[in-house]
Amino acid sequence: MQSIVAKDLTKQFGDFTAVNHINFSVEKGEIFGFLGANGAGKTTAIKMMSGLLLPTSGDAIVGGYSIRTDSKQIKRHIGYMSQRFSLYNDLTIFENMQLFGTVYGIPAKELKDRIHQSLSKLKMDDQANSLVASIPLGWKQKLAFATAILHRPEIVFLDEPTSGVDPIVRREFWKLIYQAAASGITIFVTTHYMDEAEYCHRISIMAEGSLKLIGTPSELKQQMGVDTIDDVFVKFVKR
Amino acid sequence: MSEIDIQHINKRFGKVEALKDINLTVEAGEVFGLVGPDGAGKSTLFNILTTLLLPDSGSATILGMDIINDYLQIRRSIGYLPGVFSLYPDLSVQENLDFFAAMYKSSIRDNMNIIKPIWDQLLPFKDRPAGKLSGGMKQKLALCCALIHKPSLLFLDEPTTGVDPVSRREFWDILKDIQHKGVTVVVSTPYMDEATRCDRIALIQNGNIIEINTPNNIIANFKGHLCTMPTSDIFGLMKIMDRFELKCNYYPYGEHFHIVFYDDIKKALPAFEQFLEKNGRVHGEISSIQPNIEDCFIELIQMKL
Amino acid sequence: MKELRMILHKEMIHIMRDKITLFLVLAIPIMLVLLFGFTISTEIRNAKIAIFDQAKDSQSQTLIDKISSSGYFQVVAYPETESEIDQDFKDLDIKLAIIIPPNFEGSLENEKMATLQIIDDVSDLNVASILNNYILAICHDFINEYNGQGLEDGSIDIVTNMLYNPEANSVYMFVPGIITLIMIIVTALMSSITLAREKETGTMRMLLITPVKKVYVIVGKVIPYMGLSLISTIMIIVISVFVFKMPINGSIALLLLLCIIFMFTAASFGMMISAISKTQIDAMMVTMMGLFLPTVLLSGFLFPLDNMPMIFQILADIFPAKWFIIAIKDVMIKGSGFFDIWKYLGILILMAIVLIALSLGNVDKRK
Repeated sequence: MQSIVAKDLTKQFGDFTAVNHINFSVEKGEIFGFLGANGAGKTTAIKMMSGLLLPTSGDAIVGGYSIRTDSKQIKRHIGYMSQRFSLYNDLTIFENMQLFGTVYGIPAKELKDRIHQSLSKLKMDDQANSLVASIPLGWKQKLAFATAILHRPEIVFLDEPTSGVDPIVRREFWKLIYQAAASGITIFVTTHYMDEAEYCHRISIMAEGSLKLIGTPSELKQQMGVDTIDDVFVKFVKR
Repeated sequence: MSEIDIQHINKRFGKVEALKDINLTVEAGEVFGLVGPDGAGKSTLFNILTTLLLPDSGSATILGMDIINDYLQIRRSIGYLPGVFSLYPDLSVQENLDFFAAMYKSSIRDNMNIIKPIWDQLLPFKDRPAGKLSGGMKQKLALCCALIHKPSLLFLDEPTTGVDPVSRREFWDILKDIQHKGVTVVVSTPYMDEATRCDRIALIQNGNIIEINTPNNIIANFKGHLCTMPTSDIFGLMKIMDRFELKCNYYPYGEHFHIVFYDDIKKALPAFEQFLEKNGRVHGEISSIQPNIEDCFIELIQMKL
Repeated sequence: MKELRMILHKEMIHIMRDKITLFLVLAIPIMLVLLFGFTISTEIRNAKIAIFDQAKDSQSQTLIDKISSSGYFQVVAYPETESEIDQDFKDLDIKLAIIIPPNFEGSLENEKMATLQIIDDVSDLNVASILNNYILAICHDFINEYNGQGLEDGSIDIVTNMLYNPEANSVYMFVPGIITLIMIIVTALMSSITLAREKETGTMRMLLITPVKKVYVIVGKVIPYMGLSLISTIMIIVISVFVFKMPINGSIALLLLLCIIFMFTAASFGMMISAISKTQIDAMMVTMMGLFLPTVLLSGFLFPLDNMPMIFQILADIFPAKWFIIAIKDVMIKGSGFFDIWKYLGILILMAIVLIALSLGNVDKRK
């Protein structure tokens, strides 16, 4: 089953084509890396796929809904987490999760259960009433991820989720991501950091509005005859 | 004499011990990396070395000058590139450069030889407001401003954060060029993969320096044995790994599974294969690979704990 | 000094390129002056007056009708004694009182001559003279219509009495008020906000890491805004004098000196605020709550201080605006000279020195 299918997805701003007929699909439960230099069109593509921007032409089916006609439904069925904004520092962990859960319309009683479940999975039950400001950065990222999947979205968009995080916590974080993927949530990761890219099942590289490369990390490395995704990227862009 | 000599520096903010007994030296002409996650204490150490912050205890000399008493002389001899864009967005490229040159009683012309390669790239945009430059160009301008007074020591605070891989590579090439012109470079980064670009690195975590060495030595000193194997059922593997009796670290890595053995590899590997078979796991070929700096960092932290 | 020159140059670029702020800073004072100025012109149109009609004959009635239907005056009281007139000046805020002599009609008929007495509130000379001229014109009309009965121009002798009421606020008191606010907004607020902006964007760090003295950074920041507020102040005074005929009884040079000294006090407040605020919001809040509001409320230009509880009167003493407004009022209205107001100048200078010492005291220290 496919979670995301993009068909000739295109966005123009005046004369400028930000996204130019991109086609790709992401399987359910896949961890899909979305790479590209600054200004390659990544942000525009993600905005369209999360229902914030209407495409100029083409379409994408996200979680079974068309971004042209059902953008409201899409918003209900996706989660989002970014390194820059994740949780409110002046609310407790529980309050944060309650807030975001309520926004997605989870009934109060059900929400309480889910919050406790996800906190116990993180082994953070006893910290439910701590202020987010008081916990270390890496833990915040884990919590932010747990919050982003609280409403059991089909797809989560992660924006540079672990850049700058302590390496031990980061590996724990990626274990959470694999766990979520195994439970059927599709993970869509955008990043500048090639070590994050290595963790993905498949990656794609965008440049000048087009999707230039797509494949598993080892396929791409083989294809370009290099050892790391970093080299793949540089070799590709310089070409 | 070392360019930077830090002795027993401590700094505390309220309850948080930001730096704990830091000792390190940086030699003339090297590119020295301060590598660690956000919140490890990199910025605090930078602020102390660039004389913006006083340590609670300990001492340090920069180019032989004391950071507490001789800070004005130190400021004249160091360059600093902050982590976020910190120039005047409404001033043009040329105006920014002129301004910072004047702050050092210097001028663009005086220092052309050191900034020439970067300046040539900026020249077409010299009348454009700095705020309207692309990310890569902004950073080149900031680097120009940091070099405008011919510092013998250049501090770069996370210069590659948020920069795309191609610009990042270009940036490291520029740094090498600056190094060849005789400038000592101290650079901080949260990205482990950039550590190999430095001559020597200090790994820093929770205010402690865990290791100071060349990247190659750090990798050579890796105690464990890192193996990789392709698998389609990473999550299934992760679930059963708790039951494997030998000491190891494991983590998912794309379509691969990475595992670090700490016992003799001749025994550990067969034991692991046996374990997989017993649990009915299909797997591809298990092969040894070289650890990266992140693997080493994790091992070093765990050894300390 | 090259550094300071360069900082000033950089600051001028910031100001000149930020067209919206520049426009606001220069346009708002002009708009305020025009607004208040025209409000006052309308006040003159409907000036409140009292008429003490001692004659109560048909001619005095004709004159009163003429005055009240002229459109310039609103007769709000008909006092019966001279002391009632005094009362009306205080209670009804009348601008002028007219006393019609007994036997007005008789004098005109028999002696072809009568004497009208006018009492002006000359705490505002300008308004008083305008209103006097209106009365003269009305009397001239009155005589013309009376003609045929042999009256000549000047048959009504108008005797003007000046009533000096030191407590009354001049209608032009809004001018020092606006100058005070502009000085605070431009010199204190703008300089501290732009300095806080440098802290927020990180350029402050870049400056600190250079060997330049921090004193230069702050002084270089404040001077251009002082210049800007001086320009505004001069514009306010020029418009007030030439468009609205604001009287300045004292010397203009002294008035300017006073403004410049107050500008230094405001600038030193700006430095103080810059020293304690880390973000633009901080700077804004501190200036608004700590300086702007007390200035509006406690300077005496909107709300008379005399009626305030003791605690507020004491509080008012520690803000510079009160002393500035007292001094400027004395120069404008009483025509006081330097030696009459040196005390206030001294207070303003002292405040500036204390604030500058406080804010520069820890400027080059590191933590």
